[in-house]
Amino acid sequence: MADSFLQALLAVSTPGVLILIIIGVLFGIIGGSIPGFTVTMAILVVFPFTFAMDPISGVALMIGVFVGGYSGGIVSGVMLGIPGTPSSITTVYDGYPMAQNGEPGRALGIGMLASFFGTLISIAVLVFFGPLIAQMSMHFRPWEITGLIVFALTLVAGLSNGAMLKGLLAALIGLFITTVGLDRNSNLRFDFDLAFLSSGFEILPVMIGVFAFTQLMGNIEKLKEETHQDTQAPDASVNIPYRHIVRDIGQQKLNTLRSSLIGSLVGALPGTGGTVANFISYDQARKFSRHPERFGKGIPDGIVASEASNNAVVGGAFVPTLALGIPGDLPMAIMMGVLILHGIQPGPLMFEQNPILVGAIYASLLLGAVIMVIFQLLLVRWFARISQIPQQVLVPVVLMLCAVGSYALNNNLFDIWVLFGFGIIGYLLWKAGVPLTPLILGVVLGNNLESQVFRAMELDDSWLTFLTRPLSASFFILAAVSVVVALIQNRKIANKLSATENG
Amino acid sequence: MVNIMNKDRYLAIATLVIVGILLIESGDIPGKSSWQPYGSAMYPRFLLALIALLSLVLLVRSFLTAKPATPQSTATFHSLAGWFRHYRIIIALFGLFGLYALLLPMLGYLISTTLFMVSSQGLLLGCDTRRKWLINLGITFTLVPLVYAIFQYGLNVWLP
Repeated sequence: MADSFLQALLAVSTPGVLILIIIGVLFGIIGGSIPGFTVTMAILVVFPFTFAMDPISGVALMIGVFVGGYSGGIVSGVMLGIPGTPSSITTVYDGYPMAQNGEPGRALGIGMLASFFGTLISIAVLVFFGPLIAQMSMHFRPWEITGLIVFALTLVAGLSNGAMLKGLLAALIGLFITTVGLDRNSNLRFDFDLAFLSSGFEILPVMIGVFAFTQLMGNIEKLKEETHQDTQAPDASVNIPYRHIVRDIGQQKLNTLRSSLIGSLVGALPGTGGTVANFISYDQARKFSRHPERFGKGIPDGIVASEASNNAVVGGAFVPTLALGIPGDLPMAIMMGVLILHGIQPGPLMFEQNPILVGAIYASLLLGAVIMVIFQLLLVRWFARISQIPQQVLVPVVLMLCAVGSYALNNNLFDIWVLFGFGIIGYLLWKAGVPLTPLILGVVLGNNLESQVFRAMELDDSWLTFLTRPLSASFFILAAVSVVVALIQNRKIANKLSATENG
Repeated sequence: MVNIMNKDRYLAIATLVIVGILLIESGDIPGKSSWQPYGSAMYPRFLLALIALLSLVLLVRSFLTAKPATPQSTATFHSLAGWFRHYRIIIALFGLFGLYALLLPMLGYLISTTLFMVSSQGLLLGCDTRRKWLINLGITFTLVPLVYAIFQYGLNVWLP
């Protein structure tokens, strides 16, 4: 493995790939710092540019966006009090008050260094646990993989804004979308005698359509509500007090480590992501602090907990994606799409078949983290300005890039119509309160699930085998438990809400 | 008149109708061959059955947990015209994108994208001041050729 990593490091250290990582990090930071743009959108916009690249270059660019994107949210969070991404909500709790107290440079500097260490610790988690889990999952047969996919989908559906039923419905719709077109036996399904449906839908335009349109239209709707709110222009004269922030971080070693480990662990769990990591770490930091009363008033502990954890999600989220071929959240689902597009199937075999690519992912994360902290510290005032780009300009630009990206996939105009069609479907589902992450995950995992079910049935045509094999049965039981727990939690929340309304 | 429909009911009914159409269409899928344990229609039909089941649960639940309609909840979209008025920008933007997709093969990337960018920014930003026009045209005439050049010459991807 060490040899592969060295080879990968050499491959990633070429000027061409380094430039791509730099571009990715810069774009990620910009994307993360614009409120409402999100890391996922930044990844989707960059995705089409990787089509013509070799796998290592494409993955390096995307990882740059990941690393930059998760750290970019701090800029608008500290300067404007508006989190650039949902995963930096708790950064605002202490970052904004610290900036208001006249120390914006200190708040930003602490957050940036915490993001850097969070990424580094999560890479260590990935390097240690990734191959270990992949080794364990080598023994998984089609029954176990089916159970694992079902478990991942139910978990994500259950964690979708308290809408368990709609989450499951979304996951099933996502799985169904992948059944359109030729199946593994070359039989046509749901083509309605239309030639362009015979090869089914490409994952990319479906994902972009469902996610990007919904997000952008949602941003436009928000604009109406915010028209009367004045947005304060950021102070571009911010200076980072380097000595001070190094001292601050030095006093936060335990907090940084704890928050990074929480971020890595949460990132590895399906359906959670940076936002959950953010809140858990912040809460834990407050519980362990000797000054819990200072939280929310501009204490460095809060910024460190928040930023270390949300960046640690990056490395953690790669663990199930690479080791099991199961992405835990939306950005990872897209990352898996990138790998599939480049002919690489993530999963346990990836560590054996593509060790250099796996090494390139580690190396890109490492280099991305270093580049991220350098650029964040040097160019913070420019990022603060860029975070002011209005949605009225951003939305048409992103829509145009989505259209071009979908077309560029196969030089096929039908893919733009797929993008458009699924954009409308996604928006309508979102308006009906349907969470879209399970749908996108269903689309990404749909082909694999069907293939595993059929392989299992070809080996043993009894459905009971799914429940008689211990590990497979465990995954199905866990899936059932996740549904029941989510239903109980939803009921509790509903009861609380009705009690509040009545009382 | 009391409006008995809500989001969940619209969703459940629309899903059930679509599932019905897809189940009928699944009749055209070739049957199983001698070496297949199950035919090609089995898996999608299983998914459709689950979708239908969940939609039915959603529909029933929407009646069981229905809250009495308040004047506030029914007033917003009392008519179709009210609904269109509320969502006019969203509908217009979807319309402009659909038009863009339609014009792309006819006019080519450069012209159709320029038209889309100018019109959609005009819709969202407004065109009542000189500054807004400058922003609109500046972004359009910078980005459209730039993206074309990156794809065409940098990535060797031919745009229409």
